[in-house]
Amino acid sequence: MADIDYAHQAAAIVRDAGGYIVGRTKLQKIGFFLETAGVGSGFPFRYKHYGPYSEQLAAAAQHAAISHLIIENESIANWGGQYSTFRTQMPSDPSTNPVRIRLAQEMVNSDAVELELAATAAFLAHERFPDPWAETARRKPEKAEGGRLERAKQLYARIRQIPTPRPLPEI
Amino acid sequence: MPRQQRIRDPLHDLIEFDIERSQLEDVLWRVIQTRAFQRLRRIKQLGFSDFVYPGATHSRLLHSVGVFHTARRLMKVIEKYLPAKDARVDQALAAALLHDLGHGPFSHAFEKIGERFDLKMANHEAVSEILIRDSEISELLRDMGSGFANDVADMVSGSGTPTIYSAVVSSQFDADRLDYMRRDRLMTGSQHAGIDFEWLMANLEVGDVEYSVDETRLKPVQTFVLGRKAIFAAEAYVLGLFQLYPTVYFHKATRGAEKIYTELLSRTIMLIRDGSVGKTGLPEMHPLVKFARTPDAIENALALDDTVIWGALPLMANSNDEWISKFAERVRDRKLYKCIDVRAKIAHDKDDGAALSFEADAACAVIRDEIGKCLEEWSIKCPDAPPRILIDEVERSPYNKLTEDTKGPLNQINIRTDGDHLVDLSKRSNVVAELKRYKAFRVYHADDDDEAKTKISEIIDAGISKWPT
Repeated sequence: MADIDYAHQAAAIVRDAGGYIVGRTKLQKIGFFLETAGVGSGFPFRYKHYGPYSEQLAAAAQHAAISHLIIENESIANWGGQYSTFRTQMPSDPSTNPVRIRLAQEMVNSDAVELELAATAAFLAHERFPDPWAETARRKPEKAEGGRLERAKQLYARIRQIPTPRPLPEI
Repeated sequence: MPRQQRIRDPLHDLIEFDIERSQLEDVLWRVIQTRAFQRLRRIKQLGFSDFVYPGATHSRLLHSVGVFHTARRLMKVIEKYLPAKDARVDQALAAALLHDLGHGPFSHAFEKIGERFDLKMANHEAVSEILIRDSEISELLRDMGSGFANDVADMVSGSGTPTIYSAVVSSQFDADRLDYMRRDRLMTGSQHAGIDFEWLMANLEVGDVEYSVDETRLKPVQTFVLGRKAIFAAEAYVLGLFQLYPTVYFHKATRGAEKIYTELLSRTIMLIRDGSVGKTGLPEMHPLVKFARTPDAIENALALDDTVIWGALPLMANSNDEWISKFAERVRDRKLYKCIDVRAKIAHDKDDGAALSFEADAACAVIRDEIGKCLEEWSIKCPDAPPRILIDEVERSPYNKLTEDTKGPLNQINIRTDGDHLVDLSKRSNVVAELKRYKAFRVYHADDDDEAKTKISEIIDAGISKWPT
């Protein structure tokens, strides 16, 4: 697959999530779950600071912005933090697996930290950690507090209810 | 007189391990003696950089020891703010020593091959993690406590919460960078990229900075910040690191060698996996053959180092596969492809400011895709011929990206103001504020391949001709 094709695939994640994603972390985690569920585009993921992360997806998103397939804007939160938003007007593709769209749209409005926790637990399950949620909480204590881990489990349960070609790990 | 173990280092002079009075230093001294750590002697810190800077033959072993030494100095800074002994001090010092443990031969190029074939053991972070959690090294680390090895592995992989202790291992002023910047400058002989190290250390402070995931704010985290008297030292630090990239790390010849090496090893792995090991010139029991066949075995990854690759080249040069024999000869004899710098051509054809513009990015994307198509056509015609065009595309921002793809205080250098606020250095330094992202896009071809050279020129000209008016 040529780079421009990967750029299209990155833009397709934004498209299938409803045309708008807030934050690079969320783009990455949605991409990760699509791959894990068997409805992705072949982006490989590795464990990084914020859980599963794909260098290739990051590069493809950059390429997509250069090619005007997506528009990336930088926003400033009211407390001063910076984050990106991604928008696309790419026309829908009738051949897209509806499961992929359901999955992406289930995640797009979730809390970014909770989605990161859920993705981390799923990744650690693949890495054969006996208790992925406990390991997630151990690795990310500041993110897991305040009820976020419980809400991440609920989010994961909702995602897992969607029947996918490759079932998400039972954790 | 307490017993000391000493290492003489060209950068730091004496690096001492107090094996009698410090349990940690005794353990780490024994860790240095392990096979996995000694392997770093045979992995050069700068890969093919000695093709350009013949002095740059320093090993990852000495760099790792230097990082440990620098980490001890950073701990002295932390002690001024947090005098109480914390378990994470020892974890961070061990992590500093072990941070590079998993690197393969010609580190970054080897990782590219790993990405291409999805080889987990070609990823240095994955290998480091396994070695620290479960190997003879973890056995030794157990002397520091049962969970110590896992805590060290977490710190190396950056999986825990960012703290001032993990900042020693990963931050804008981490021990790794403070060592490699100075060591690489010394060993290459480069006279730029000098930094005022002692002044930086004297002005390092601990500060609380904002931490977030996308738009969600989390609790602030502690990291290293600089006092107001260090603005110009910080400026030189950012500038120095920034200059090392085009001149050393991204030098066109170094990158050209990496590209040939990547294609050589990719072809070798592909043939071995296809059951054609005989075509590679390598014997059945060669470490590269074993790695290609069983890439998930850590033992096979540990059997690889730079010397294994250099030793394989004469065998590969005798391979009956044209791709392998030609590329093995090229690496062995430093007969590299010629480089065409696309962004330099854009600067020449348009104007100097155009080379980094959005339009240039778009033109490069078109050129890259066209070259990809051309390579595909040639590959269909001659599937066993080596690639006639190699592409290299790199970018780097003035600040080091620490956490993947995110912006914010952890990915910038924070200066304390007179009013006790923290501001990004770029707000106080016009020089840093003006620095633009470094971008290079190069296309390589064989010196005697006029057809490829002409084709590249046509594609580049066509790409630039689409420039919006």
